[in-house]
Amino acid sequence: MMGRVNKDTVGGLVLLAVGAWFAIYAAMHYPLGSLRRMGPGMFPMGMGIAVAGLGLLVALQSLLREVEKADIRFWSPLFVLSGIAGFAILMPLFGLIPALLAVTIISSLAELKLRPVSLALLCLGLSLLAPFVFRICLGLQMAMFNWPF
Amino acid sequence: MELLNNLGMGLGVALSATNVFYCFLGALLGTLVGVIPGIGVLTAISMLFPLTFTLGPTTALIMLGGIWYGTTYGGSTASILLNIPGTPANAVTCLDGYPMAQQGRGGVALFMTTVASFFGASVGVILLMLFSPVIAGYALKFGSAEYFSLMLMGLVAASTISEGSAVKGLAMVALGICFGLVGMDTQSASARFTFGSLGLLDGISLIALAMGVFGVAEVIMSIRRVNATAIDRESVSLRAIKPTRDDMRRSWFPMIRGASMGSFFGTLPGTGPSIAAFLSYAVEKRIAKEPERFGKGAIEGIMAPEAANNAADQTAFIPTLSLGVPGSATMALMLGALMIHGIAPGPTLITSQPELFWGLIMSFWVGNVILLILNIPLIGIWVRMLLIPYHILFPAVLLFICIGAYSTTFNALTVWQVFFFGAVGYAMRIFGFPGAPLLLGFVLGPLMEEHFRRAMVLSRGSFATFFERPVSGTIMAITGAILIWGVWTSYKLSKRREVYAQDV
Repeated sequence: MMGRVNKDTVGGLVLLAVGAWFAIYAAMHYPLGSLRRMGPGMFPMGMGIAVAGLGLLVALQSLLREVEKADIRFWSPLFVLSGIAGFAILMPLFGLIPALLAVTIISSLAELKLRPVSLALLCLGLSLLAPFVFRICLGLQMAMFNWPF
Repeated sequence: MELLNNLGMGLGVALSATNVFYCFLGALLGTLVGVIPGIGVLTAISMLFPLTFTLGPTTALIMLGGIWYGTTYGGSTASILLNIPGTPANAVTCLDGYPMAQQGRGGVALFMTTVASFFGASVGVILLMLFSPVIAGYALKFGSAEYFSLMLMGLVAASTISEGSAVKGLAMVALGICFGLVGMDTQSASARFTFGSLGLLDGISLIALAMGVFGVAEVIMSIRRVNATAIDRESVSLRAIKPTRDDMRRSWFPMIRGASMGSFFGTLPGTGPSIAAFLSYAVEKRIAKEPERFGKGAIEGIMAPEAANNAADQTAFIPTLSLGVPGSATMALMLGALMIHGIAPGPTLITSQPELFWGLIMSFWVGNVILLILNIPLIGIWVRMLLIPYHILFPAVLLFICIGAYSTTFNALTVWQVFFFGAVGYAMRIFGFPGAPLLLGFVLGPLMEEHFRRAMVLSRGSFATFFERPVSGTIMAITGAILIWGVWTSYKLSKRREVYAQDV
């Protein structure tokens, strides 16, 4: 997937970009002050430059030696992260149970070993366990179901 | 004697019903998590972190501490029975523990590692009791320049010594500091990198960052890789746990040597329980009269590393509690727990929060005794836990991460932060960047900025202050030496270092 590019080159260049952006953003939006009286922008700018510089070093190093290529998997992170996103979207709108079902069902797609019946049982088990732990044991005020419209 | 008074007071705090309960709960959950491959210490602590929000700071730390050393106890179970290290610190225990299990001596191995763990932990706790107050007393004289240098040294050491590439580790520290700077600047009260979001004014959530970078990324990496394997149930029946006289005789000195090495490496930033366990195994093998027994079920090969990693677990608290400089990502989370409860870490902690400090230390005794008692009879349950397939486990882990994150703020933004750091953490794993330095930088970043700015005000804008003040200058010189040594060895050992798994 990465072609012939090794992973340190990519990682280093990403850091270079992130660091440079961080430093420039800090310098443009926040007062730098002087070395004696530093403003809120000075330290972030310095750290941004540090990230960029170290990123550049990582990228340069990677040109000098053989680095293994990245092993990227696409589906596992996609389903796991979508599950979390599903929770984040549904929780404030519809309450805990729908959000819980979203994260469980979507993330279980990452490993297709779970048959529909056991998935249903898992969902049921978690729907009972989660309210018990968080609502009853910890006393957190969370809506179980919600209808926002 | 003052120490005895303090110990008495600490014991009183540790033995209160609430604290014993949470210590028990933490140790139990820690063991459970340590047994199950695919859920590490950091995942466990960040997942259970929100549970401690409702507790007082002392109880919260007691529980988190219990999780931390509980995982090392539990990790040895998975190492011995499955040849899968439950945590990186137990990896070396596989080498001789698994052959012992294959020879039908798994019960003996489990029993003896529990003894070694308890012994190592005891040595570590005694050193923690004796040295922390002394170090903190000395550090009370430190000014901002010294603190900055000290934190810099901690970060440089943590990122260059234990991980694969020194430069990558340093880059992650710097990136972590950048994440730590998001939110309200305490000195000028201006919002930085919040992009108009009110939720980000308080900064990025430590819990979301830890859950994402460690928990979510670990789940993604473990999917379709971790599988429950068959276990020989016969070997763990309680009949077979009694060690022979020969086992006992062989175990004493490895245990003592392991505990001493573990105590030493636990205090240093960057060298945690994993490295201590590896090195103590190497030492045992070197000085053994019959080194060929190692790898074939030599009891010395499990006693030394298990004593070492548990001793290191305890002594890791020395720099964290006495100086406020954590040496590992887990200790950074402990420090984060303190700060979330509004307690400033540093050398004043011991004198300003004596109940917390001594209560926590005495709870280590309570916790280790609980583990000693729990571990043997519960082995049967742990073995059953190992049989839970990962595809059932991981959706539940993700769910608890989501609810945990949400419950800290009751704002979906925190869950979105988990999402973001999950993606960042996964990218870091595939590109081979270590997560621990990121978390350390994140926790120490704001403190470093504060001390840096204050030191620069005092020195009228001259960087020389960090090098001219004797203590600060010495620390800076050591930092420089660590840096050069780290970069040099990371070139020299770039291949061999991968043996040392990440120390979390």
